[in-house]
Amino acid sequence: MAAAVSIQGLTKTYLDVWTKTEIRAVDNLSLDVDEGEVFGFLGRNGAGKTTTIKMLLGLIFPTAGTATVLGKPIGDIEVKSQVSYLPEEAYFYEGMTGWDMLDFYARLFRVGEPERSRRIQKALEDVFLDPQAWRRPVRGYSKGMRQRIGIAQALINDPKLLFLDEPTSGLDPIAHAELREIIVNVGRQGKTVFLSSHQLPDVELTCSRVAIIHRGKLLTTGRTDDLTSGDKVEITFEGGDAGLIDKVKSVAGACEKKNGASRIPAVEPKDVNGLVDLLRGAKCTVRSVVPHRRTLEEVFVETVLKETGK
Amino acid sequence: MVTLAIAKQTLEEMLRRKILLILLIVAVAMIALGPSVGFLSPRESSAVLRSLGLAVILLAGLLITVLTGIQVIPTEIERRTIYTVLSKPVQRYEFVLGKFLGGLFTVFVMVASMGIVFLGVLRYQEGRFAPEMAQGVMMTFFQMTLLGALAIFFSTFATPVVNFFITFGLFIVGNLSSVTESLLQNKNIATRLVASAVHYAIPNFGNFNIQNKLIHPQVVIKNMNMFIMQNITYSLIYSAVLLILAIIVFDRREV
Repeated sequence: MAAAVSIQGLTKTYLDVWTKTEIRAVDNLSLDVDEGEVFGFLGRNGAGKTTTIKMLLGLIFPTAGTATVLGKPIGDIEVKSQVSYLPEEAYFYEGMTGWDMLDFYARLFRVGEPERSRRIQKALEDVFLDPQAWRRPVRGYSKGMRQRIGIAQALINDPKLLFLDEPTSGLDPIAHAELREIIVNVGRQGKTVFLSSHQLPDVELTCSRVAIIHRGKLLTTGRTDDLTSGDKVEITFEGGDAGLIDKVKSVAGACEKKNGASRIPAVEPKDVNGLVDLLRGAKCTVRSVVPHRRTLEEVFVETVLKETGK
Repeated sequence: MVTLAIAKQTLEEMLRRKILLILLIVAVAMIALGPSVGFLSPRESSAVLRSLGLAVILLAGLLITVLTGIQVIPTEIERRTIYTVLSKPVQRYEFVLGKFLGGLFTVFVMVASMGIVFLGVLRYQEGRFAPEMAQGVMMTFFQMTLLGALAIFFSTFATPVVNFFITFGLFIVGNLSSVTESLLQNKNIATRLVASAVHYAIPNFGNFNIQNKLIHPQVVIKNMNMFIMQNITYSLIYSAVLLILAIIVFDRREV
């Protein structure tokens, strides 16, 4: 599969004018994003996510390294007609109505009438923006409506590749879930989505692959399923006394009791048969024996802490 | 199409700015009340009215141009709206030109509005249309065109506050062209060098001040049309050079 985004050794440094020291916002970053995938770009605040996206869009210039977007060098004007961007904390022209704002952005893509009006209507419908708000100034929009109009402007050119920078931050749970659904729908349409987010449960649900960066450096990249899957096994059972729990803990390390059931979260494969025999011997009911999956949050925290040495 | 779309958006954005509308309202009110100050000099009430009208248009035009020129690009960067514009298939030169044209259209609307009121007041007061005053208003507009280009150029790398003082300062110095011209004859070589640098490098805003020639008939210009055309050409060429420089600087700027 062709790479929608290909980055080789991308580096961005800034000079701190006060301390005269060099700050590496992005440090020799290399990664590929395949066409048609929803790719999660993860990192702490200041990790270099937005800087990377801005370099890929030609808003700022790399100090070193190269990158291609849809097979062309960054900043290529032809490519920009097939790319969209929703910045973090996007600000809009407050006095414009939602419709007029999309009309303005559609004009930047050189879309003529009547196609322009058709696209505006479709984009507004795709993001489920209340039609009564279409002709109202953006200054009166709620945070959720602003994010919707932001995604609508990113969809106005029917892009092949979308860069979304923290699209769900600061939203209430309903707006959050709806916006996540919009992103999933965009991915289903075969578009490539480059999603930068702190909302790790969202990323886990929507992204097929992720990369974790820290202080501008790539720590890990891989399929979400591969990163979250573990070689350990989780066992849940009912019954058993305190003595049994102590025996289980001595083998598996941990055993949690909740709502009458007990859970052994991470059992080494070699210990599974022995533990099941032990439970059955103690007249316990074994409810499930399933592969243990880590959450993306656990993977993220573990990866970053390992890098920082904590 | 892209440049015009940006220009239209900029014009609409600027026309929503309350400060510009307040300036326009105050200026129009002053022009409309002009006839009432004729009593200060009954013999030359017409000259006072004309002088006041052109002065108000110049002053209001100056403030509107500077406030527009220093803001149109930095505001986009400050509010981050520039991200969604430049990430689209928009060349940076299209953005700079769009912003300049949008600002220019704003100044045009404002100066033209004041000019129409001014000519209407004159028509009412003097009982005749005064086309020569329309020339004065037009010269103010082209003077502001050049000033706007200067403000746009500095806005590509200076902060609005710094730009405000630079643009205002250069406007004042550029209006002293007769002084710098006389200093070119100075015996001191250092003075001559500084004077020539200032005289030739800084836009000659003084050239556009034809109020005296219009208000006082004793001041004679041999060929008024040629004089106006020369100044318009000067304004357009100098503005074009400033815009090219602005584009070169902005093309390398990170946003």
